[in-house]
Amino acid sequence: MSISPFLRNPVTDITGGLVSHQMLGSCQKQEIRYMDCLEAYGLDRGRVKCSELFEDFHECQTKTKQFKRFVAMRKERDRQIAEGKLKGDEKYLSPRIDSF
Amino acid sequence: MSEACQIARKQDLPPPGGYKPIPFQRLPAKQYFSGYTMFAMYIGITAVSAYLYNINAKRIAKNEIEMRSAKMAIYPMLLAERDREYLKQLRRNRDAEAELMRDVPGWEVGTYYGERVYKLVPPDTLIEPIFHEYYAHSSPTEWFRRAYHKLRC
Repeated sequence: MSISPFLRNPVTDITGGLVSHQMLGSCQKQEIRYMDCLEAYGLDRGRVKCSELFEDFHECQTKTKQFKRFVAMRKERDRQIAEGKLKGDEKYLSPRIDSF
Repeated sequence: MSEACQIARKQDLPPPGGYKPIPFQRLPAKQYFSGYTMFAMYIGITAVSAYLYNINAKRIAKNEIEMRSAKMAIYPMLLAERDREYLKQLRRNRDAEAELMRDVPGWEVGTYYGERVYKLVPPDTLIEPIFHEYYAHSSPTEWFRRAYHKLRC
């Protein structure tokens, strides 16, 4: 995981912050906390000390846990429909189409 | 031989009175309007039609302003209605999740088998769901209706 170039100087700093979540993103808070922690501890110690912050940032960026939640819920619902526990109107709960 | 000359033969002679004179001068095309006339006609027709167009354009501009103002006026209310419906649906989703995963071992509502989605925030923070989570309990038909909404309109 290499985040910064090998030799940092003002020339590399010009385009350093071009691609990040800081302008528009929903992950702005998580990213800045992680980057501040990395800046304080450096990359090697930061791997160990900032791992919780990194996990939150990674989750915000990739949304893996939220997706896994969806997969588990869907599987359970399909299983319950197949075994007959949910039937008729109880099978699904659909949101209104213009609400999301 | 003199007898042969007295037989009347057909000869290719000029018409009686001689040929008419051959016209060799140039015949220029007939000019209906002169150049200045054409400019004047163009300016005149443009002026009259601009006047007629402007009468209608003012009315249309007024209508457009009215429509735009109306849309701007109701936009916050529509947005608020959508947000309210969104929050209500979040609550319904949470209840459905609690009902569905009641007998699944290790599952807590709002987490992934007990593991919270974001660990460093207070437990009762609202975590906005992704599309899949929001539509986790919906029928496939409704899912596709929303997912491909732009293709169908």
